[in-house]
Amino acid sequence: MIHLPKEETKLMVAVHGWSGVLLGLVLYAVVITGMAAVFAEEIGAWSAGHVETQSAFARPFDRSVRELAARTPNEFRDDVDLFEIGDHNLGVFFHRHEVAPSGELINRGVYYQLDRQGRVANELRGTGEEVFGPRNDDALSSFLVDTHVRLHVPDPWGLLLTGVMGLAMLVAAISGLLVHRHLFKDIFTLRRRANPVLADRDRHSVAGTWSLPFAFLLAFTGSFFSFFGTIGVPIVAMAAFGGDQQAFSDTVFGQPGKPNPTPQPIGNLDRIAADAIGRTDGAPTFMTIEHFGRADAAVTTFHESKPGDIEPMTLVYHGGTATFDREKPSIGSKPSTGGTLAAIMAPLHFGNFAGVLSKAVWFGLGFAICYVTLTGIRLWLARRRERQRSLDWLERSVTVIGFGLPLALLAAAAGFLVTMPLGSAVFWTPASFLAACAVAILAGAVVPRQEELQRGLQIAIGALLALLPLIRLASGGPGWPATIASGQLAIMAVDIATLAGGAWTLWRLSAQGRERTAKDSAALQPTE
Amino acid sequence: MSPHARKWTRIGFAGPGAVVVALVTMAGMSLWLPRGSAGIDNLVLPLVLVPLIWAALFFHACLDARLARVVGVALALFAIHAGIVAHKFMDRPAMASEAHR
Repeated sequence: MIHLPKEETKLMVAVHGWSGVLLGLVLYAVVITGMAAVFAEEIGAWSAGHVETQSAFARPFDRSVRELAARTPNEFRDDVDLFEIGDHNLGVFFHRHEVAPSGELINRGVYYQLDRQGRVANELRGTGEEVFGPRNDDALSSFLVDTHVRLHVPDPWGLLLTGVMGLAMLVAAISGLLVHRHLFKDIFTLRRRANPVLADRDRHSVAGTWSLPFAFLLAFTGSFFSFFGTIGVPIVAMAAFGGDQQAFSDTVFGQPGKPNPTPQPIGNLDRIAADAIGRTDGAPTFMTIEHFGRADAAVTTFHESKPGDIEPMTLVYHGGTATFDREKPSIGSKPSTGGTLAAIMAPLHFGNFAGVLSKAVWFGLGFAICYVTLTGIRLWLARRRERQRSLDWLERSVTVIGFGLPLALLAAAAGFLVTMPLGSAVFWTPASFLAACAVAILAGAVVPRQEELQRGLQIAIGALLALLPLIRLASGGPGWPATIASGQLAIMAVDIATLAGGAWTLWRLSAQGRERTAKDSAALQPTE
Repeated sequence: MSPHARKWTRIGFAGPGAVVVALVTMAGMSLWLPRGSAGIDNLVLPLVLVPLIWAALFFHACLDARLARVVGVALALFAIHAGIVAHKFMDRPAMASEAHR
């Protein structure tokens, strides 16, 4: 238990309240999209009807990469990144490193998107930022991730904004811990029959306290990611390397060794992938080739962590001979405290270190944080309701954003499902989101009673959740027998989750309606 | 110092002060932290720790009853790390001209 003096406790309550009220609604947007983005991969497969389960790295791809190398201008053949896109197809980015006039490190080159047969389906030229935009088949998952990471605000401002949200969450989490006078009593206290404000306070307190370590972890790792490239690397590179960010990158991420620019064809990449799969029991999630076509070429394969471990696995191969070199940490050439700490930031933030189970826990705790954020603002408003009628607009905004945002995300999913087969999902996914936002804002302005507004938005959420699987099937998505036959269970799981979520929301609203009717008639009887 | 001035000094050290001191500390730490077995700890640890350094400075500025200690800790951290960075920058041209000889 933490016992702060009375004045300090009052101050912490103020810090907790104001950090929540000033930044809570934006923080809510970041957390709710992050909660959905935990399952971005599964949502991507579900929404686009991807039924392939075999990794692109488990199929032959060496010949395709050689053919692509032959058609790529020499100036972009320094390094190659290989990764999966769409329905387990391959994306290949031949590039060179450049330093932008701002001092920022960028990659420029040719990005090939291959189809299932290894043929070029699309070719894009430019910097990494220019070529890695959303595609028609991943517009929904890209939209979710981009909203979470930068709220669609251009870099670096979007990242800085979400970084500030991370710090606000850190403040709310720590101050929330400090204001508890009876921590262990509070986490088990739920007075359901108390007055509504007290019952809300209990629920806020219980959900907040249980999710507190998680909120701290997410806020810390999230702000690390937001500030890493935008502020952190430039400042540390300035202090340690006189501003040379390339030198920083080479020291932290590069492969130590004597340069050998003698031309030498790259070894067999299929052999490297097969060896990596054998050593890690899993296909690479990413592969890079440094110094492509040189005697000192190095191939690095990145893998998810082993069961029971958090840090992802990384293997290095001699590029020219396609022979195994060593297992290395994700960051740095040898195991180190800094490298390990930085490497576990991603799995701790994304919750993907123990498969679907850890993702489900992260999703649930993300939901708890959304609940805590909204109920916290409502409690803050409830305390001031008697004194300040002028805060009605804020209460209404909380309802519009609190329920309008999930509704708009569901509308974006529906928009994607309808327009992806037409090839226009990149436009219609954000357009559907904005249209639903406009409807929610309009409803907030015209619906006279707060309760009616809240109920209406909740009914729309429940109905849309329940309808999403039907929209998916109606727009040509694969049925359950096809997904079971292919072993792609994510599609069925997301269908069941949305159906269950919709049914539960509508059932809860119907129960609340019946309760209200019963109360009204009970109140009327004595009058009669 | 008047209560009003004390309040704004505290707000200054909890707000922009904490940000500036955390960033300068991060820059300075990269020059004195041990490099570790991989030679990267001095570069990576400040990046990992900066949100926590900021949070520590923020809550210290809010909760420490002695304002002089808040100011003292923040200014000491700032002066030490800014000094280390400045020393490195002043040393660099000298090292470069030494190398040219």
